[in-house]
Amino acid sequence: MALHFIKINSLRFKLIASLIAVSLIIGLISLMVGVNLLYRSVLAEANNRISQDLNVARVIYDERIGTVRLALEISASTPELVKALSSDDRLAVSEVLKGLSGRLKPDFMGVTDSQGHVTLRHGVPDSGKAPFLSINPLVLRVLEQHKTNAGTLVLDHKKLLSENPALAAQAHITVLSQLKNPGRSIAQDTNALVVGAAVPVFSDHRLAGVIYGGFLLNKDTAIVDKIGETVFKNEIYKNRNIGTATIFYNNLRIATSVKNPMGNRALGTVASQEVTRRVLDRGEIWTDRAKVLDDWYITAYEPITDILGQRVGMLYVGVLEAKYSDIRGNAMTVFIAITLVGVIIAIALGWLFTGRIMRPVSYLIRASAEISAGNLSPDIGPISKDDIGQLQRKFLIMIDALKERDKSQKAESEFRLIQSEKQASIGKLAAGVAHEINNPLTAVLTFTHMILRRKDLPDEVRSDLNTVASQTERVRRIVKSLLDFSRQSALAPEPLDVNRLIMDCVHLMENQALIKGVTLSFTGDDDLPSFTLDHNQCQSVLVNMIINALDATSMGGTIDIQTRKAFVDAESGVEISISDTGSGIAPEHMNKLFDPFFTTKEIGKGTGLGLAVSAGIIQRHGGTIKVQSKPKEGTTFTIWLPHKPVNPVPEARVSRKDRP
Amino acid sequence: MKILIVDDDPIVIQSCCRILDAEGFDIHCAGSVEAGEKILAEQDFDLMLTDIKMPGRDGFDMIRRAKNIRPDISILVMTGYLMPETIDEGRRFGVKNYISKPFTPAELVLAIQNM
Repeated sequence: MALHFIKINSLRFKLIASLIAVSLIIGLISLMVGVNLLYRSVLAEANNRISQDLNVARVIYDERIGTVRLALEISASTPELVKALSSDDRLAVSEVLKGLSGRLKPDFMGVTDSQGHVTLRHGVPDSGKAPFLSINPLVLRVLEQHKTNAGTLVLDHKKLLSENPALAAQAHITVLSQLKNPGRSIAQDTNALVVGAAVPVFSDHRLAGVIYGGFLLNKDTAIVDKIGETVFKNEIYKNRNIGTATIFYNNLRIATSVKNPMGNRALGTVASQEVTRRVLDRGEIWTDRAKVLDDWYITAYEPITDILGQRVGMLYVGVLEAKYSDIRGNAMTVFIAITLVGVIIAIALGWLFTGRIMRPVSYLIRASAEISAGNLSPDIGPISKDDIGQLQRKFLIMIDALKERDKSQKAESEFRLIQSEKQASIGKLAAGVAHEINNPLTAVLTFTHMILRRKDLPDEVRSDLNTVASQTERVRRIVKSLLDFSRQSALAPEPLDVNRLIMDCVHLMENQALIKGVTLSFTGDDDLPSFTLDHNQCQSVLVNMIINALDATSMGGTIDIQTRKAFVDAESGVEISISDTGSGIAPEHMNKLFDPFFTTKEIGKGTGLGLAVSAGIIQRHGGTIKVQSKPKEGTTFTIWLPHKPVNPVPEARVSRKDRP
Repeated sequence: MKILIVDDDPIVIQSCCRILDAEGFDIHCAGSVEAGEKILAEQDFDLMLTDIKMPGRDGFDMIRRAKNIRPDISILVMTGYLMPETIDEGRRFGVKNYISKPFTPAELVLAIQNM
């Protein structure tokens, strides 16, 4: 069986191969389609989520501004500050600022008078020097507009210094190269991005001063960490934060939760040119996958606009793509596993099915071989219940038919053998006897006739002699037919129109039929080809048949002769049937019909050799002769002759040496 | 007409002699091929009537020898069973006619007259 599997043309191989092919195709298609669909929907979902995350980040960012603004506005509206400012009570203002900074913890904060002179700054001790004019854009705008200003703004080094020298130092960011020598410091950035607010303080509807404050975004962790905490819940995936947030000053990371490989915040690195161009230059919101440092992120960027309406930075959130691409990887692994399992199942099923299918088939193959070898009772195994079972049953029917045919063929050939043996031995005997009888018969005939020539014979003697003569004639006829039978001559085949031959025989016998009052008819198949037969011998057979039929049929009966094409053992030929409505043949005579000397005719009317001779002639043509009869209803002799010309083989019944 | 009859069976010779004598032919008989050859060597005949199946040398041998000695002699063959082969072979030796045994006197005379 193992060998069967290797054979590429074997049913088992083909079935298993097709099952594997089907499971592979289905598996691969579902792999590709499924993984892609899954990944796309996950990606779409991720993109959608990151947009929302960006919105939340923006809310958190704005909230930071809002906090400053709210705190300052509340302070600005307190009577203490109004009073302190209007009375230029520095100590009182300082008290107010102290209380506010304790709650707000701003990076910078200060108060100016109505002209913009900075009277107090948070975190900077009052030097007692003459107040200087504020250069903070927030303050300038409030002085100009007399209303609250809040938002993002850029403070350069000078402005930072003017707020708080410590702040200038804190804002300092080292810009790192990301190209040839990653991490190398290539520049220093001293500008800072800040968020803050400035609120006018009115005293009796007159501007008494400005209070302002804000947070430095450079190196700030509050906003980005709050985003990480609120939006991404600080989720860790493979030792990395899933979600990251960054604030850019222009394209420079100044506050971020993105960590570099050393685990430090990746400050000083810059955004990609593509992002810079699209977000910073064109002001678009960007949502796509992007490489941040060494990892791919699904990212969202939006521009940060300062209070003057200039785009000064970007707000970024991103989720690690690995989390989603790993979903694709996992899905692919699962699909491949399913496909492999499918293939294994296909092999197992194929093996099982072909085993089941092939077992009865191999039985049948073996049985066929046995039948070919002559065993007509082969074992075909148990009958299965499926379609193969039908094949097996048909096979059994075929075996039965073969047995039946084999049996009948054996019987027929046995019968023929006996028949020809009988004929051969009788033929030899007859030839010998007949020849010996001829000479004495010649003498009897001669002398009887010589005596009869005498004129002086008494009538009584003459009558007796006539009887001797006529009976001797009868003996002569018997001997003649004996010799005819014994010396059945070799065939002299010639091309022959069978219908024409029969027509001739019918013409020959028409008168006799007329005298007997029997209708003799012939219906020939017009489509018969030319046959190669011995004309004289076939004619004698047919005439003999017609004579027999005439003898058996009484007045008013019919004899019908027909020809038609017929096959015997797949060999084409002609079937000649001679049917009469005569007395029929007694069943007990049927077996002896073709025996030499068997006759039912009266003594002297038949020699009993006619049918034996006819059968011999037909057999030597390679044909068959059969008889069907019902007593009192009639008899049909059916002669079949092959179309294929037979080689004229002389029967060894009487050899040339024995010729009479 | 002078006729030589050759047959190994005396009863056939006797029958032929009886018929042909009565017709007034000059009849000579031989019981074997050798005897027939001897007679032929001594005398001339118009006709030879010969059997085919004879012990030792057969009728065709007889005919061949007869034709050797008397090329002009007419041959009538009498045989127990006339077969196509016999006729074929006889034609080669110049056999003029055939008659099947047994025959009636009239049939023999007719066969001779038809030669």
